[in-house]
Amino acid sequence: MKLIPALGVLALVSACAGAPSGARTTDPATLTLTDLTPKAAAPVERVNWLVESEPDTLDLDTQGGAPASTVVSNICERLLQVQPDMTIKPWLARSTANPDPKTLVLTLRDDVKFHDGSPMTADDVLFSLKRHADPANEQSDEFGRVASIDQTGPLEITVRFTQPDALFTQALAGDAGLVYNREQVEAAGKDFGTPGSGDACSGPFTLSSWKSGDSITIKRHDAYRGEKPLAGEVVFRWASDSALVNALATGAADGVFVDSLATATAFEGKQGVDRYFGPSTAALVLIPTERGGLKDPKIRTALSLALDRQGISDAGFGGLAQPWATPVGSGAWGYAKEAFAAAQKDLTDAPARPTDADLVRAKQLVHEATHKPSGPIVIGTDSKQGRTVMANAARDALRRIGLDAEIKTVPTPKYSEFYGEAAARKDIDLLVADWYISKSDPIGLYDNAISGSSNNWVGFADPQYDQAVQEALSTLDDSRRAALVIDVQRRYTQAAVWISVAQVPNTLLIDHELTGPPASMAYLYSPWAAALGKKAS
Amino acid sequence: MTALPAVLPAVSRRPAGVVAAAVVLAAMAVAAIAAPLLAPYEPDAIDLSASLAGTSGTHLLGTDASGQDLLSRLLYGARTSLVAPVVLLAVAAMIGVSLGLLAAWHGGWVDTVVSRLTDVMYAFPGLLFVVLIIAVFGGGMTTSVLALGLAFAPTVAKYTRSVARAEIVKSYVDAYRVQGMGGFRICCGYVAPNLARSVVGYLVVLFGEALMSLATLSYLGFGAQPPSSDWGLMVQQGQASIVLGALLPALVPGVAIAVVVVSFNVVGVWAADRLGTRR
Repeated sequence: MKLIPALGVLALVSACAGAPSGARTTDPATLTLTDLTPKAAAPVERVNWLVESEPDTLDLDTQGGAPASTVVSNICERLLQVQPDMTIKPWLARSTANPDPKTLVLTLRDDVKFHDGSPMTADDVLFSLKRHADPANEQSDEFGRVASIDQTGPLEITVRFTQPDALFTQALAGDAGLVYNREQVEAAGKDFGTPGSGDACSGPFTLSSWKSGDSITIKRHDAYRGEKPLAGEVVFRWASDSALVNALATGAADGVFVDSLATATAFEGKQGVDRYFGPSTAALVLIPTERGGLKDPKIRTALSLALDRQGISDAGFGGLAQPWATPVGSGAWGYAKEAFAAAQKDLTDAPARPTDADLVRAKQLVHEATHKPSGPIVIGTDSKQGRTVMANAARDALRRIGLDAEIKTVPTPKYSEFYGEAAARKDIDLLVADWYISKSDPIGLYDNAISGSSNNWVGFADPQYDQAVQEALSTLDDSRRAALVIDVQRRYTQAAVWISVAQVPNTLLIDHELTGPPASMAYLYSPWAAALGKKAS
Repeated sequence: MTALPAVLPAVSRRPAGVVAAAVVLAAMAVAAIAAPLLAPYEPDAIDLSASLAGTSGTHLLGTDASGQDLLSRLLYGARTSLVAPVVLLAVAAMIGVSLGLLAAWHGGWVDTVVSRLTDVMYAFPGLLFVVLIIAVFGGGMTTSVLALGLAFAPTVAKYTRSVARAEIVKSYVDAYRVQGMGGFRICCGYVAPNLARSVVGYLVVLFGEALMSLATLSYLGFGAQPPSSDWGLMVQQGQASIVLGALLPALVPGVAIAVVVVSFNVVGVWAADRLGTRR
């Protein structure tokens, strides 16, 4: 008879075990994106912060990634700095100038000191830039148009280009603009960036300790030249999914910039943890691959027309992702925001929910396609919940327009290989992906579709498109470049080189008593913890 | 109408737990076979507007994140989850019974070699062994079933050897020898059939463990792959919904696994006792 109460409990659990009604999804239309959290009023001795995983290294030339960047952005500084509104301004470089379109002159600050007390020199900057440009290092692609880098004065560096490069100053606000203490980096050798080595930087925090497998601690640098941080030290530990939710809910952690929107959804309406959403360049996209199932642009456009973006956002991302017509988030609009926002509204091949007319047109496009898939279209993903929902929705959309599709799910480490290795993608036609760019300029995404680009997996080839991209990249004037980039964007989305799904806001979860960091994606490139402190009592 | 009164006394002689477990297993088997008739939806049909819905008249056991009906997936998943352990145990039995008989019949150095070999395999963690095989040959349900079959084989071999050693000293074996019958014929034609009851009883006991091991592999991402509705895979996929307050996607397949494993253990132990398998 003990079975009866047990079944009763099970029935009760079952009855209540759906997601809480009305509390699970947020209407993207009401989601407010903010650049900054309210300014902190009081110091805090110690803050426990989470990153999704332990970094492999803190040397961003060796390997990037959000966990390492979240830490390094507080320790190291860049020649230019991304602001919370995703614009950039000179930082370790006091000013930048273009005497001609193929020359960039950086005038350096004279008051910068590294954590060991030694002053930053032009030689340190020259060393750092050449290190970033090394073809073996992560940032080398940013230097593709660079002809030479020279020290042309005691505090002056001159960069010359083979052709004008509008993105290079943007890159100097990212990891290609990090400035290291040459002496310390050379002394550390291959150990630089590993547990036990120093930081060789000049930021408002110093690297205090890295206990491998346990934590990374940064401490306030009291000799910092600028405004002193309110936080005495920040201890980083790593957790994801339910462990991350539990750590925040129990107060074991004070904050996190989350990778998974499901985590943010779990704190909707909960007391004790504040949620902030900010601009990001990240977007959810479907990327056609070399295998060729979506080689025909008409098939790709048909899929775009039939995709239920709103459903994906609601079911897979708690309503926090916003259906989006371009493959890059609004955080990339570092200039000409109004022009880019208006251009986004003109794009009609990416409906939030497909109408009957969209489906009719999609089926017509499939009928007209010259390269129809010879077998099922294989959709590649891993088992993360949001991506699984995207894969299911893509398969459903393909079936609704008369195309057969199947899903290939792989473990997450293998999924990561899809992005970097063509061989890993040989069995899939379409990758369920999220993608962000490090620059506040959409052209930083669209140049991936030029002929021969390593990220142009589907082999999109259009000489006029290539020419339009080159012209935009070579135009240094922001307003003129915006017009050119919008033209490139129109061509890109017409060909559905990638199928845009939704833009993903940057998401900050933070203890209710704390405030100060930017809510935008700027945290990856600027010392966000310097503004972290307690709210006014 | 005469059948029921005839069956009732037989049922009443069995413990209630065994009867309940047998009923559960029979129901699961029927559900698996009749899944296309019983399931209200296709197992991979999505409804994004019904994501993570709770129990309702439309979805009796709720839905997962993609709005897939959990009852339909559970019913279709029963096919994989119940058939795969049978195949696994067949592989383990083919290898294990052969090795066990070989060792028992020949004795001497053959017995020593086979016994030490099974001891070594027995000492190696089964799941680790399977993960190593999957690392070499790739994941998927087929590899997982074959690899786990190999991992279970030493257990079956050791059991078979022990019961076969008791069997081959019986007088009927000497009688066949005296008649000039060859060892292979005696072994396969007479000894092996006499061991069948005992070995089958033992395999029934192992069924629950086999199901659990396969579910574990699918949960870890090595076994069944989406969009399969394998129960272990359903638990893994439902796990992410827990932080959203939706327990059903993980709870429903988890309970199904637990109920079937417990039922098989109850029936298996009872059958083993009846068949003289347990020692």
